[in-house]
Amino acid sequence: MNDRSSDLKGVRLDSQEDAGRHVVRTRGISKAFGAIEALVDLDLDIPKGCVYGIIGPNGSGKTTTIRILNGLLRASSGQAWLLGEAVPVSESIHRIGYMPQEMAIYSDLTAVENLELFAGMYSMRRERFEERADYLLDMIDLKDRGGSLVSELSGGMKHRLSLACALVHDPELVFLDEPTVGVDPELRNGFWEHFSRLKAEGKTIVLTTHYMDEAVRCDMVGMMRLGRMIAEDTPEELMASTGALNLEEAFLQRSRRVEQ
Amino acid sequence: MNARRVLAIALKTLRSLRHDKRTAGFLVFMPLFMIAIFGYTFGGEIENVDVVVVNLDVGSANGSVADMIIGDLASRVTLRLTALSSPDEAVEAVRLTDAWAAIYFGPEFTEQVEEGIAVSALGLFAVPSVVELHLDASNPNIAQTVVTELQASIQVVLVEHYDMNPPVAVVEDRVYGEGAEFIDFFAPGVMGLAAMMVTFMLSIISFVRERSTGTLDRLLTTPVTEGEIVGGYAMAFGIVALIQSTVILVAAMLLFKVTVEGSALLALLTIFLLGVGSQGLGFLLSSIAKNEFQAVQFIPLILFPSILLAGVFWPLEAVPDILRPVSNFIPLTYAVDGCRSIMVRGWGAGDVWPQLAVLAGFAAATLMLSAYSLKKRG
Repeated sequence: MNDRSSDLKGVRLDSQEDAGRHVVRTRGISKAFGAIEALVDLDLDIPKGCVYGIIGPNGSGKTTTIRILNGLLRASSGQAWLLGEAVPVSESIHRIGYMPQEMAIYSDLTAVENLELFAGMYSMRRERFEERADYLLDMIDLKDRGGSLVSELSGGMKHRLSLACALVHDPELVFLDEPTVGVDPELRNGFWEHFSRLKAEGKTIVLTTHYMDEAVRCDMVGMMRLGRMIAEDTPEELMASTGALNLEEAFLQRSRRVEQ
Repeated sequence: MNARRVLAIALKTLRSLRHDKRTAGFLVFMPLFMIAIFGYTFGGEIENVDVVVVNLDVGSANGSVADMIIGDLASRVTLRLTALSSPDEAVEAVRLTDAWAAIYFGPEFTEQVEEGIAVSALGLFAVPSVVELHLDASNPNIAQTVVTELQASIQVVLVEHYDMNPPVAVVEDRVYGEGAEFIDFFAPGVMGLAAMMVTFMLSIISFVRERSTGTLDRLLTTPVTEGEIVGGYAMAFGIVALIQSTVILVAAMLLFKVTVEGSALLALLTIFLLGVGSQGLGFLLSSIAKNEFQAVQFIPLILFPSILLAGVFWPLEAVPDILRPVSNFIPLTYAVDGCRSIMVRGWGAGDVWPQLAVLAGFAAATLMLSAYSLKKRG
């Protein structure tokens, strides 16, 4: 962890060499909506196999960052790379998954039909899809509800299905925008088990959250405030450097320091 | 374009419809309902229309022209005549809806007719003799029938007995559609209208939902292209429009004995193009609407001009001059005109290609604009 964080602040590797290690890389990306600066000069280097948490209050630029990375928004300036390819990616798009903040699944389709639609978007073969669907439905504990209409599922089940839809093509890099907002603690715990499993498979996860207790479980945390990255390190380092007992306090201290 | 992905989008969209039983039922029964209503309202030949007659004509040496006209009317079943003795009584009968119309012949009717004929034989202006007709025009079809019947009888009698046309005569020349009933005219209009309404409404609502639930954003982060999404939707809704117009066509043929003079397939192709274009239009407007409720506002905006000005129920000739340019901008105008020409006039692709071209252009333009509107990112 430590050498990775020193790497962040130290020498910049060129993007060719970098691609293998840093699956997400941005240089000076900014985004303005009219007079509002949603994102200011963001540099990110997220290494492979990392669970990276972007934390910050509402309006701090978390979602804007994710949407620029996955191509839904164009940065006003700066450049980003995913898996070594400049954003918006085309080749690498097959290797990237995205779970939006909204549930973003079709409530008038069944759970399996939702998975099948997204599998279709990635041109997955039938056999491969069936294998994946079995695996994912098992993972999200919806094995016996695969044929149920989404509108008949509980909120938690829908959340789990939404995650499964982001993972159907077995992506190497997954963006999860507030994956656990409005999710009960037990289910959140379950989600983190899935994240650990993905990490163990060598996947990289970039997620946004405003739950500090969740941020602690990330390998690396970027604290955002008013469109700016105000601190970035491991949760342990962030707490240690501010002398705070928890991340929330660390965040508040950093915020105050920026204001001064 | 990846065919597999287009199919996946189309499949998903059709599946959504299948799961929504009410919508699926609506899709099939709405057109049935429409053709039934319009068919029963306008489809049958009109018979036994109650009409009261007041004949005060005293006649001449040659007899009474009014008697002959009434006799001619009575020889057919279209009007059911009842004789009354005073004009006021007759008008009252219409007012009380006991009769659809009152026909009144004045005492000098025959005299005036003979005078008029003599004057016009000299090439001079003849004062027309007057038959008063008091009409309940609340049903335009019945009103039209009464007028037509009366004029026909007047003409028959005058031509038979005086070898002359009456001073006022309506000459209708039908190149096509001889013997066609109203339903033959309405069936193509209803097919076009139903296809347009349903594809437009489904499309605008579906896309507003795709946007508001975040599924569209999610799709756009996958390898699927904007064109593939639009193409998949167009395929699904085009199929819906086809199924619908087939239901209407078959119902019209079985229930109302509508005959298709030209190619039914060509008529369905016309409707398909209209359906695809209408879904594209719905898509475009959905990008302006923020939610379902706003989307619903667009529906009457698009539908009412189409219903009123596209020649579905009233001929384009009945559209006021000032609105005629609007008619020319409504795609439904071309679909109804094309479909009607195919089904009633028996025209082929060689005759209706201009209409087909306009509809194909409409479909292509809305689909391309839709895909472009998706590509535009903030």
